[in-house]
Amino acid sequence: MFKLYSSIRKEFLLLVNDKVGLALMFLMPLLLVFIITIIQDSAYKMVNENKIPLLVINHDGGLEGRKLVNLLAVSGLFKIDTLNELSQNSLKTELLSRGKMIALYIPQTFSDGLESNAGDVSKILMNDLGLEFDSTKQKSISLPTLSFYSDPVLQENYSYSVMGIIQSYMSVIENSLMIDRMYMTMDLGDKSSKLKDRMISNRVKIDHFVASTSNSTVIPNSTQHNVPAWTIFAMFFMVVSLGSNIVKERVNGSFLRLKTMPTSFMLVMFSKMSIYVVVAVLQVAVTFSMGIWVLPKIGLPELTIPSNFLAFVAVVFISSMAAVSYALMIGAIAKTQEQANGFGAISIIIFGAIGGILVPTFVMPGFMQFASNFSPLHWCLEGFYILFLKGGSWQELRTVLLFLGVFILICQLCTYFKLRIEKII
Amino acid sequence: MSDLPCIHIDHTSYKYKSASENSLSDVSLTINQSDVFGLLGPNGAGKTTLISILCGIMAPSSGRVNYYNNRAEISDVNRRNFIGFVPQEYAFYQELTPRQNLDYFGAMYNLPKTKLVSRREELLEVLGLSKVADKKVETFSGGMKRRVNLAIGIIHEPGILFLDEPTVGVDVQSKNAIIRYLQEINNLGTTIVYTSHHMSEAEEFCNRIALIDNGRVIAKGVLADLLVENGVGNLQTLFIKLTGEAYRD
Repeated sequence: MFKLYSSIRKEFLLLVNDKVGLALMFLMPLLLVFIITIIQDSAYKMVNENKIPLLVINHDGGLEGRKLVNLLAVSGLFKIDTLNELSQNSLKTELLSRGKMIALYIPQTFSDGLESNAGDVSKILMNDLGLEFDSTKQKSISLPTLSFYSDPVLQENYSYSVMGIIQSYMSVIENSLMIDRMYMTMDLGDKSSKLKDRMISNRVKIDHFVASTSNSTVIPNSTQHNVPAWTIFAMFFMVVSLGSNIVKERVNGSFLRLKTMPTSFMLVMFSKMSIYVVVAVLQVAVTFSMGIWVLPKIGLPELTIPSNFLAFVAVVFISSMAAVSYALMIGAIAKTQEQANGFGAISIIIFGAIGGILVPTFVMPGFMQFASNFSPLHWCLEGFYILFLKGGSWQELRTVLLFLGVFILICQLCTYFKLRIEKII
Repeated sequence: MSDLPCIHIDHTSYKYKSASENSLSDVSLTINQSDVFGLLGPNGAGKTTLISILCGIMAPSSGRVNYYNNRAEISDVNRRNFIGFVPQEYAFYQELTPRQNLDYFGAMYNLPKTKLVSRREELLEVLGLSKVADKKVETFSGGMKRRVNLAIGIIHEPGILFLDEPTVGVDVQSKNAIIRYLQEINNLGTTIVYTSHHMSEAEEFCNRIALIDNGRVIAKGVLADLLVENGVGNLQTLFIKLTGEAYRD
């Protein structure tokens, strides 16, 4: 027991003496979580929570333009900023300078064009039904065109979705206008409301369900992506500290010296792993505390801790073990500390990029989503996603635990065989 | 002190997997309990390979090594309890202090805490490290680091001490302190097996030597006898006479 205590104490002393390693493991994730969460928050909010900020310039002289703006406003989907005094030409500049992302221009002839079109449709119908109507030729105004502007950074499918929403409100206006015009032509006065209500309001509804095994209604936000993502990134960054630590002990002969002593090499490795698993758990504690208590104070979403605490502990533990095992493997394979630091750090950045740490995997192209399966960081993040966003059951975590288990085994075996080749074990 | 054989090396050979030839070929030596035994030879002769085999770091490709005439109580596992090893490299943690290093390695030798503390303080004192015992080793001179390296190898009072060039790159004062202390512990019963390139130091320190070249023992015995047999006045001349003057890289 004294031996184990001494071995763990030695690892602890080496760790606290490694100031750069400590900074990388603890300060880096805090800074990354803080900065990246703030940067990404507006993008996540746009998708998840807030109304879509929409700049509207309504130059329509009639009622229909106002009707469209009202319909968009009462839909609850948009946060509308109306700037009717602007010209269409200056709209692009205003859009970019105001950070509105999307804008809608309603032309001067909007109402006239819609009414003209409704009149034409009404005449065709009356004619086909053989009913009397005013057949005097009236000036026909062509159907108006709405202009939709979007920021170039906005995803194309997002722009199309917003245009689809506007289009559906346009249908409401156009249909309403046509019904009114037909009733008017048939001298039915204001009896159109019943038909309009039936045709426009009484539509097939779509019920929306969030796919989750529990009753959790938590949806992803910037905090829930960034806090676990950058914590995992920092966990794996322990390769810089632990990896170079192993290289140093291999190269300076400490490991060989231990081989001449009545001690097991497993004790040495166990001590190293224990200390660094504790480091990883502390990293989780520090960054998650920031997500729970600090981020909400600066207006960012609060991190919600998953209800299945045991599964949370399991995911933290297996992620820590994966990070420690990877660092051990790099430490065993690298010939110099520079190699361990350089290759270790770059490999973690690449694993992070393909694993969805920097950019979530769902926005990646198909082949990159497939490639993400080869990143241990992806599986760690997947574990946290299952816990945070899907209420994580053991059943769902099975794949994550299996993949990370295999990854840990491969790393440990590589470490073992490399150290055996060097006659350290 | 008893002059019984304590290490018997019997027709031992070793070949590295990547090498085309043996690094050690059919080496047979007997080292007595009272010996300060010098394993001498040019670079690449096989000295470090032989020490690694004697310490149990590597197993010989053929042949065998016996300790204390293969006494039943000395198994391969507890052999590590009575062996001390001081490698050529600074094989310890330079980020830690001498006290922290000795605490760690002492515990790895199974020393109980009280014994470890008293032995640690004794060694720090004897080797002139008391005043810097709580400073990080990375700030030390080469001589101080060598003394830390030695202290770790002898903290458990080994019966046999293997030293691989223990005084390389150190100042005269440190070298004197190290050699004096090694002579002291040899007088108290520790067998010393030592490699060095310093012939004058080896001549002063060792009572018996083996000269190794190209993995083979080319001369062995009591140093004084070897000098007489070869008609030379000192170890350096004997060394050049037997190994030649050509560069060894």
